[in-house]
Amino acid sequence: MEELVLELKKQIIEVLNLEDVQPEDIENDAPLFGEGLGLDSIDALELIVMMEKSYGIKIKDPSAGKEIFKSINTMAEFVKANRTK
Amino acid sequence: MTTKQWVKITPESVEVSGKTLATTNCGAALLTEVYRAHVNDYPKFFKMDELSKLGFLATELLLQAEGERHSESDDRAIILFGRNGSLVCDRKYQQTIERRDDFFPSPSIFVYTLPNIVTGEIAIRNHYYGETAFYAMAHCDEQLIRQTIEASFLDPATQSVICGWVDCESDQQFEANVKLIYKE
Repeated sequence: MEELVLELKKQIIEVLNLEDVQPEDIENDAPLFGEGLGLDSIDALELIVMMEKSYGIKIKDPSAGKEIFKSINTMAEFVKANRTK
Repeated sequence: MTTKQWVKITPESVEVSGKTLATTNCGAALLTEVYRAHVNDYPKFFKMDELSKLGFLATELLLQAEGERHSESDDRAIILFGRNGSLVCDRKYQQTIERRDDFFPSPSIFVYTLPNIVTGEIAIRNHYYGETAFYAMAHCDEQLIRQTIEASFLDPATQSVICGWVDCESDQQFEANVKLIYKE
């Protein structure tokens, strides 16, 4: 799980061009949107694409993203349970 | 019309109203270097396409040269001109959709597939609510640019304009020649 968490952090930084952020700057339980990393709605769409491209997970209901992308931990749990690649 | 300040950016150098900034990099790396040295408080810069980075950076330097920062303003227009528009970003987006077996359209690239987004980025950063426009033209036609700026001053609300040439052919070939012009 720790490996997946680190992998997700690195991918988020790369995909969302978070130039000045290091994996260790992202707390596992901190909110990704709003006060946390300050991600926006375009970032959310990019994360949905990332889930499909990297893990073969299609998120058909965009409102489900709110729970899935709550934090790195919730993302990792979701990926672990649903990944097809 | 009076030109108050101007900024010229090429892949090799950055000039602000006649003064060349000390830089060591070229091309896209030059833009990042200048951002870090002279702006460095707007992380969204790294999410922008090359055209927006170029226009944003030129404007930041222009406004720093102006001195006191004007924001929450509805009397300042942003009118830019360029040849290639958002073509660099259009091509980049095309790459995300051209293969059936690797079809992952990128939302963050897609949002920059319009050249006038650069004017929006500048307006958002500075809270400018005046006219914004990006005109595509085959070459930098100074006379036509001047006529367009004069026409924008026909709107009594417009007292100053950030205007000029912002063109990006690739991340290594670009040019910005931006001016701050006042009506009087």
